[in-house]
Amino acid sequence: MAAVGTIEPAAGEPSVGPPSVGPPSEGSPSGSALQWRRGARTWLRWIGVVPFFGYLAIFLLIPTGELVVDAFKGPTGHFTGANVSAAVHAPYLSSFETSLELSALSALFGGILGVFVATAVLHRGVPAALRPVVFTFSGMASNFAGVPLAFAFSATIGTGGVLTGLFQHLGVDLTTLVPLTSGVIGLSLVYTYFQFPLMILLVIPAIDGLKREWREASTNLGASTISYWRYVGLPIILPSLLGMMLLLFGSAFSAYATAYALSGSTGNLVPEVIGNLLNGNITVDPQLAYALAFGMIVIITVVLVCYSLLQRRASRWLR
Amino acid sequence: MATIELQELTRRFGDVVALDSLELEVASGEFVSLLGPSGCGKTTALRIVAGFEWPDSGRVLVAGRDVLDLPANRRNMGMVFQAYSLFPNMTAQQNVEFGLRVRRRPKHDRSKRAAELLDLVGLAAQKDRYPRQLSGGQQQRVALARCLAIEPSVLLLDEPLSALDAKVRVQLREEVRRIQLELGITTLYVTHDQEEALSVSDRVAVMSSGRIEQIGSPAEIYGHPRTPFVASFVGTMNHLEATVVSSAAGKVRCGPAVLDVGLSAASHSDGDVVTMYVRPEHVHVVALAPGQDMPPELFEGKVTSLTFLGPVTRVGIASALGGLLADVSSSMALSLAIDSTVGVSIEAGSLRSLALT
Amino acid sequence: MTTPAVLADGLPGDVGRKRAAISRRGQARRGGRTRFPLWSWFWIGFAALYFLVPVFSLVQFSFGGTLANGRSAGFHWFLAVFDDPAFRSSFWLSAQIAFETVALSLLLMVPTVFWVHLRLPRLKPVMDFVSVLPFVVPPIVLVVGLEPFLQNFTWLYSRPEVLPFIYVVFALPFLYRSIDAGLRAIDLRTLSEAASNLGASTFGALARVVLPNLRSAVIGGSLLTFAIAMGEYTIASLLLFNTFPVYIFYIGQGPAAHEATALSVISLLLTWIAMAALFVIGRGGRETAQLGVTK
Repeated sequence: MAAVGTIEPAAGEPSVGPPSVGPPSEGSPSGSALQWRRGARTWLRWIGVVPFFGYLAIFLLIPTGELVVDAFKGPTGHFTGANVSAAVHAPYLSSFETSLELSALSALFGGILGVFVATAVLHRGVPAALRPVVFTFSGMASNFAGVPLAFAFSATIGTGGVLTGLFQHLGVDLTTLVPLTSGVIGLSLVYTYFQFPLMILLVIPAIDGLKREWREASTNLGASTISYWRYVGLPIILPSLLGMMLLLFGSAFSAYATAYALSGSTGNLVPEVIGNLLNGNITVDPQLAYALAFGMIVIITVVLVCYSLLQRRASRWLR
Repeated sequence: MATIELQELTRRFGDVVALDSLELEVASGEFVSLLGPSGCGKTTALRIVAGFEWPDSGRVLVAGRDVLDLPANRRNMGMVFQAYSLFPNMTAQQNVEFGLRVRRRPKHDRSKRAAELLDLVGLAAQKDRYPRQLSGGQQQRVALARCLAIEPSVLLLDEPLSALDAKVRVQLREEVRRIQLELGITTLYVTHDQEEALSVSDRVAVMSSGRIEQIGSPAEIYGHPRTPFVASFVGTMNHLEATVVSSAAGKVRCGPAVLDVGLSAASHSDGDVVTMYVRPEHVHVVALAPGQDMPPELFEGKVTSLTFLGPVTRVGIASALGGLLADVSSSMALSLAIDSTVGVSIEAGSLRSLALT
Repeated sequence: MTTPAVLADGLPGDVGRKRAAISRRGQARRGGRTRFPLWSWFWIGFAALYFLVPVFSLVQFSFGGTLANGRSAGFHWFLAVFDDPAFRSSFWLSAQIAFETVALSLLLMVPTVFWVHLRLPRLKPVMDFVSVLPFVVPPIVLVVGLEPFLQNFTWLYSRPEVLPFIYVVFALPFLYRSIDAGLRAIDLRTLSEAASNLGASTFGALARVVLPNLRSAVIGGSLLTFAIAMGEYTIASLLLFNTFPVYIFYIGQGPAAHEATALSVISLLLTWIAMAALFVIGRGGRETAQLGVTK
């Protein structure tokens, strides 16, 4: 699987992790017997992680690899590019477009709102007692996804929803302004519900990494708040922010339950289409499902590669 | 250049009084250190001047003008922080240029000025390095150059050397002083290191619990501490309990001995119990030859400890006056052994009580 | 914050008045300095509304509607749900699966993270990267890929016990992060070396010294894992197991909208109880951590 390929350079990159430490008890390296023993011990050291990586291989790597192969197979087992070709043409191309649009929008909304809230909570004028509260609520909200979240938004801005009723008095029809069952605007608001708390949790350590001295030094040298963020704060944390927004993008792109619960079998997101092809809501076509899933893997791989590049970039100034 | 005046500065954090009606005047071009243990309010005072903290009451005047109205970024003061204040995403040169950049000075002026200042702090060759490629001492030099670039009215230094190695610390503090004298800039320096404060300052203000205990030249602070706190915080001091025998004649009784303390006793009445202070370097020790009688002008003492400090050795002595510390030259200390009996004398005029008013 | 005027009250006579006068000037000036962080509160308030309004709507809906006899529903929908045997069976199935997931992921993750910290610290960046994978790997893709593979093991594939094996993958980031953070805080290497110097074997040392220190991290990670496994819909529904979220979805598709919201509230409460427990544990952990720092 291509995503795993990106791990290798990270493993060989010594500057990313803490300085690698030698074996705890260093003996004198002379003597071939000792060297042999040490070699054996190095080898033994890897044994401890075999169960973990073995497990991941079975439940993450093999299924993905199998899927990539199957995407290029016809119903009788012969190799063909037809599935993949179908997956990237109408009508399925529009599913990818919708999915990408939704993921980008919700990552943008969630990312920006998350950064604003995180900065607000860390503001000096805001009581520090609020931090653990915001942390906890973020934990709650970022895990409030799937079917219950879909119902909650139906009860809020769906037909007969609480806000819908409220806005009707103002002459605004929320069900046409932010429809939950079609288009991406309404759905991206739903996704933002778990995206922005996730962003808060991810970004607070990064913002905390900005030293108070930098802010004070820049103020002391005459910089306004805007200049500080423009020249110092943002350049330092931008790679982290972008990396985290990529994670949000990926998690929105993968999400299935929330959207499916809202739109049922009429949904046009890639995961929904795959689901429909598998459970026969419309037609059963596993080969096409494999091809669409392969498309998702390609996009997720791109996201992960960019993420790890940004992570490396981020560790340059924040450690 | 500018004067600094702190008037009745008070600041409380909850129940803790960080500054208690603090008064301080710094003359134009003067180098004044705020010296004290952690939590004495020295950093709070400096941060109020810089505009990062605000007093509950009181005023801060710079060049006669109240600056508390001004936000920190319009006060035009140079501040050097403890450590890690350089912007990690900029080279040394860009760091130094930063203040001019936000003032929208032309690029040409900026780099010319930055080059001058990096030259002044001896880092012209390292101008393209990033902070993480510089040593701690070099980083603090860049920080100094950076705040001098904006031609600040005053220079504020917040324990700038505390994170550095001992050797670099000594070297850099002298350099800070050299540059300060060269530019004639009014400087407020916060430190908990008395040696640092005494060695570079025009005047030292010793602080405790949000107040200035004593302010004066380094020699005054060391030689004539006026409060018990200053006496025990600055340098090492022997404390002796004594009773005033005659305030007119300047005599006190300490254990079996009557000591001549001169004018120091004048402010007390006869019979008062007072604490007398004397520095270890003013306590003299004489090794006695075997069988030699104690000369009458000396007190008998027994060596309890010997601590080698380089040129001098600090000798702990148990005597009839109480426990004493004496500094003797290390070569002389070779003739002393633990538990050996020695003769002790206190240099005339060095024993004093504190003028408590 | 205490106002200077109040402070001046405690001072006697002249000094008090003088201070008060100075304070009043200071007070007037301060208006321009420590400004009320309006924008900070705006964003916090906005986030709070975003968080609370849907929850409020959901709860209102679950108590809403009128019954055939004209009375308002109150707890009616909840009681109706509790009476449904399908609710109970799906709920217990999910709880069972969640417990198995927690057990299995602890078994896999705790030794691994320990091992990496002690013996293979240079593998940490790899672990960090691997631990974000499940964030972005689509569950639906995993199911699609796993299905043909699992069909080779029909004895497992047809039973709900297959779910914990898959959920472990999705629980990985949370458990890894919390154990990793816990281990970072206690400097495992030094601790275990100190213990070995004192004569304890490495694993004896782990058991007696390190594990108690790690308790809150492990419990926290387990609670998150439990919440995630309890709420997972995609994989369970595609593999045709009637877990709690699948049941909620099924009810929601039918005419019983109020029952569906009542079920959602129950599911929400479960997650929140887990998170609240996490908060309490986290606070305890922080306090002990602070104790270690202060002299």
